Amino acid sequence: MGVFAWRNLLTRPLRTVLALIGLSVPILGVMGLFSVSNGLRDLVGETLSQIEGVMIIRENVPSPVFSTLPASLADDLRRLPGVRAVAPEVWGIAPNIEGRGMLVRGLLSKKGMGSVFDQPLISGQDIAAHMNLNSAVFPRALKEKGEGRFLTLEDIGKPNIVISRKLARDFADPQGNPRKLGDSLRIADKNYTIVGLYETGSLLLDVVIVMDIETARSVLNFAKDSISSIYVEAKNPGGYDALSATIEKANPGVDARSMNEVKANFGSLMGQVDKLLMMTVSLALIVGIVGIINTMLMSTTERFVEFGVLRTNGWSEANILTLVTLESAFLGLLAGIVGCVLALIGTTIANQFISGGVHLGINPSLLGMGISLSVIMGTLGGLYPAWRAARLVPMEAIRIGSH
Amino acid sequence: MIEVVNVWKSYRSGIRWVEALRGINCRIERGRFAFIVGPSGSGKSTLLYLLGALDQPSNGEILVNGQNLVTMSEAMQNLYRREQVGFIFQSFNLISNLSALENVLVPFLPRGITADQRARAGELLKQVGLEDRLDHHPYQLSGGEQQRVAIARALIKQPLLVLADEPTGELDSKTGDEIYKILRSMQHTYQTTLVIVTHDRRFITPDDLVLEIQDGQVALESGAIADGSSWPNGSKAEGSAGSNGEDSPGRGVSLKAGE
Ligand SMILES: Nc1ncnc2c1ncn2[C@@H]1O[C@H](COP(=O)(O)OP(=O)(O)O)[C@@H](O)[C@H]1O
Ligand SMILES: [Mg+2]
Repeated sequence: MGVFAWRNLLTRPLRTVLALIGLSVPILGVMGLFSVSNGLRDLVGETLSQIEGVMIIRENVPSPVFSTLPASLADDLRRLPGVRAVAPEVWGIAPNIEGRGMLVRGLLSKKGMGSVFDQPLISGQDIAAHMNLNSAVFPRALKEKGEGRFLTLEDIGKPNIVISRKLARDFADPQGNPRKLGDSLRIADKNYTIVGLYETGSLLLDVVIVMDIETARSVLNFAKDSISSIYVEAKNPGGYDALSATIEKANPGVDARSMNEVKANFGSLMGQVDKLLMMTVSLALIVGIVGIINTMLMSTTERFVEFGVLRTNGWSEANILTLVTLESAFLGLLAGIVGCVLALIGTTIANQFISGGVHLGINPSLLGMGISLSVIMGTLGGLYPAWRAARLVPMEAIRIGSH
Repeated sequence: MIEVVNVWKSYRSGIRWVEALRGINCRIERGRFAFIVGPSGSGKSTLLYLLGALDQPSNGEILVNGQNLVTMSEAMQNLYRREQVGFIFQSFNLISNLSALENVLVPFLPRGITADQRARAGELLKQVGLEDRLDHHPYQLSGGEQQRVAIARALIKQPLLVLADEPTGELDSKTGDEIYKILRSMQHTYQTTLVIVTHDRRFITPDDLVLEIQDGQVALESGAIADGSSWPNGSKAEGSAGSNGEDSPGRGVSLKAGE
């Protein structure tokens, strides 16, 4: 019977193809949306998992790059109970590197929207204070996957920098080779020596040029008595939420973001995104099911005589129901496969254009979900037409054809 | 072995009811070659389909081989149709997506086809002269060939009863002759009962049972009418006049006033 059902689909190729398009497009949409959400989740999750502690920045700014705080705040924080280490930082968007300004960089990178994430940043660190941190991201990334050395006290005031492997590739030397240890990199109009290369694997972090805080101030024209942000570690790991509450209370206008909080915020944001996704999915489902019902109704209506003939040959109502539902489930299966293939192709192409930032992810379980969703849609959409075909009185079904 | 007792059948047609059968009584012995004749609209097809349990009468009893079709369960009706009755239609009604061989096997398709059944289907197609057309689809076959496939489909279940509604209605007379030749030889071979609705009396032979239907009732029953051109007067005077063919405006037509 399966073969028969299959053939019934194939003998009406145009209708089947149209129905396939109608069904696979919603499936494609669902897959696309989920791959974006997966991609965001991966990107941010990977970044967050490398950072702990509390980031102090000005209230209502999106990131340290846009934040300024008085340098004296660091001393205030050191006096708070429960604080283990306080490390001031200066952040800014790198001015032109190797003669390529921000605008030129954006145009040169063929990666379209990816350049938003690709923008190199300068992080100036109070080296002495950072050496006290347990959870500093870049030194660890250098030790685990990088080479060279991280900044030490002897780099204070010196034009020495630590960059990511990615930056070393993006700003290759004139021969096209990635920058190596000991090479220099021209930022604005001065040369800086690369003493270390790190690699975090996070696309949000691998754009940072790390240098001494005083060096950064002069590159970024940052005022002597101000800083962008402060990275604070608590004495005990459980105390971060309490610590950030205390800091915010003592310093109005300051935002203390514990990574737990960021994770929670991101989690609830993604929760909202998922709700939106589920609504879109339901809409897509309805569209798909209506399409299937329409196709199958058309197909069964013109086959009433056939069903009558099958009934006269002893087919039961259940047999007819099974036949039509099978046809429609096959249609769903085909549409699911087509939708998934399109989604795979689509995300592969899309990832070429946005590789600087989010990586759209379609994993096997998402594929499985897409295909089963489509089969379920096919089956559900086939039930009503199948029921209608099965319920025909065989004699009347045949009369429709013969009179 | 077929016994029809006071069977009524009415259809709703809009707000009116059409009485297609109005108290039919008849008996058809096992192994007979029986014809149902009568004017268009007189209820011939309706009676035939009721014999095949394709619909239920409004009233009355139909017994086939001791089984009461009226009180039979849905499942038993399916079984009855699958195993005991073969149908042959005027418009052949083959399934277009299936080959000749698969069409013959249609009754067994839902339960899976055995090698034995497949061999029997091939054998039947050979008997109707289609041994080299097994893989052909209906659109590749002429009308007469399609009807021969339909005959094989009716016979594969080795039925007690074969019901045919105007089996030559869409065929030219030469092909019609061939079909009747096959039907008669098959009936001889398999000893099945055949009930054929027709308005073409050419094919009736003296040994056949003929039920003349008019007005939803049996007007004349005869086991020995050889000549289709006219009915012998006197034997059953009631329904004999003006009843020879579809075109004659007999009482069967006046019945349709209700439509
Ligand atoms: N499903 C139906 N609905 C309404 N009227 C019907 C239906 N089937 C048959 N009839 C009517 O019943 C009468 C007998 O029909 P039928 O048995 O097909 O006659 P025949 O086969 O002798 O030409 C006709 O008047 C026909 O119009
Ligand atoms: Mg008829």
